[in-house]
Amino acid sequence: MVTAGIDIGHESVTVVILHEDGTLGHATFVISGEVGAAAKLAFEQTLDRLGLERAGIHRIFATGIGRENVALADGHRTPMLSHTRGAHWWLPGARTVIDVGAEGTRVMRCDAHGTLTNFALNDKCAAGSGVFLETVAGMLDVPLADMGALSLRGSRRVVLTSTCAVFAESEIVAEIHRGSSRADILQGVHESVATKIAAMSRRVGIEADLVLTGGVARNVGVAQALREQLQMDVAVPEHPEIAGALGAALLAREPAGAA
Amino acid sequence: MVVCGIDVGARTAKAVLLVDGAIAAHSIVRTGPESAAAAVAALDTALAATALRREDIELTVATGYGRVVVPFAQRNVTEIACHARGNQYFFPGVRTILDMGGQDCKAIRCDETGKVTNFLMNDKCAAGTGRALEVMASLLQVRLEDLGRLSLEASNGLVKISNTCVVFAKSEVLALARQGVSTPDILAALCDGVAERVKGLLRGVGVEEDFAISGGISKNIGVVRRVEQKLGTISRICFEPQVVGALGAALFARDFLGRNA
Repeated sequence: MVTAGIDIGHESVTVVILHEDGTLGHATFVISGEVGAAAKLAFEQTLDRLGLERAGIHRIFATGIGRENVALADGHRTPMLSHTRGAHWWLPGARTVIDVGAEGTRVMRCDAHGTLTNFALNDKCAAGSGVFLETVAGMLDVPLADMGALSLRGSRRVVLTSTCAVFAESEIVAEIHRGSSRADILQGVHESVATKIAAMSRRVGIEADLVLTGGVARNVGVAQALREQLQMDVAVPEHPEIAGALGAALLAREPAGAA
Repeated sequence: MVVCGIDVGARTAKAVLLVDGAIAAHSIVRTGPESAAAAVAALDTALAATALRREDIELTVATGYGRVVVPFAQRNVTEIACHARGNQYFFPGVRTILDMGGQDCKAIRCDETGKVTNFLMNDKCAAGTGRALEVMASLLQVRLEDLGRLSLEASNGLVKISNTCVVFAKSEVLALARQGVSTPDILAALCDGVAERVKGLLRGVGVEEDFAISGGISKNIGVVRRVEQKLGTISRICFEPQVVGALGAALFARDFLGRNA
């Protein structure tokens, strides 16, 4: 059985095509214009790339913030259900999944079957979000993809005290003027992001194994800071940004109406 | 008796000179990277408007975020106490004060002597502070001082901004602008959002009349009108609402001297 998952985030669409033995392929596209059209384009391009036909896909589930706008999907599942299922499939020992995306963080607990048991959500505040990290990358003129590695070379001199991302920007400007290195500033930023994620995780309760997903999981500085603050291992999948779409494709294998 | 009050805020430093209990001069200067230098500049600007010299000042009290770094101040008092005291000087009947500055927002209750009885403060989140409007003014390329007036030119009150967070609201504002929503309509929604946050803080301490507004935000007619509408009351705003904290500090300086005499 071949199924598909489409995850519509704030900034990108991810498509995962799944068959019995694993993923056939996946792709991530930046959203431009209308969400439904972006999803359709992403899905068709992924099928093209894999040489597949729409008729060969047994069921398509959408997830993410824009899941209800995906007309081509057969159904949709919440991001919490999808992310948990996706992360658990990748690491069956997973009991806690932290998903950090552009505009929010979700912490999910699951049982041995990868079924969601509890979760907490922050999509109200940009502190600790991917958007904040993007802003910082722009301010320091560092490519988003290089932030994490650069921050690991920091010497722990910079501590940001603001809770709010807007106020933190002023603190960063002050650090730039003070002559702090980019590595030091980034380390301070990642520590502050990790503090917010850790605080939220503790409210839900953390049980090993812990998996970090979402675009921000690609930032090794945030992952490392989280390991130190939570004092436990944080596993990061090879493709952390596809966990939601992967989970939706896995849920699409189950009889319609289940979950 | 010549006393001085200095209020070093996140955005501006203010000075008030009191001569025998009357305001002789006041000043407002931008706070640069050096808070102490801004405090000195505020003092010198105020002195320049009078025939007074620094040596004439018997006591200086500092307040605001930077109150501990003012080199020439002998004492310091919290800005909450100073705002209550300063507003009570202008409006003896005042019982509730909204003070909204560049980086925080305070709802203060006081008694008939201007003594603080309760307060709530937001300095953790930029939403509902002057900073939110500063960010949006620059995003929409509107001068901060024009923002409130423009917001009253909105065609209707139908545009809403659903995000509280300033960072997320920026994306929402850009999306609205791209859809062709007029700048006054967007500004109206932003001022309404700020007023809504402020209302929450004020409800937390309970609003009793008279109600006064001070701090930079009181110069924003768009926010002031909407706060008044939401509370169903009118606000009292003195002639220079940005120096109320510094005035309060100067009044405390006068008290301190009187007590020692």
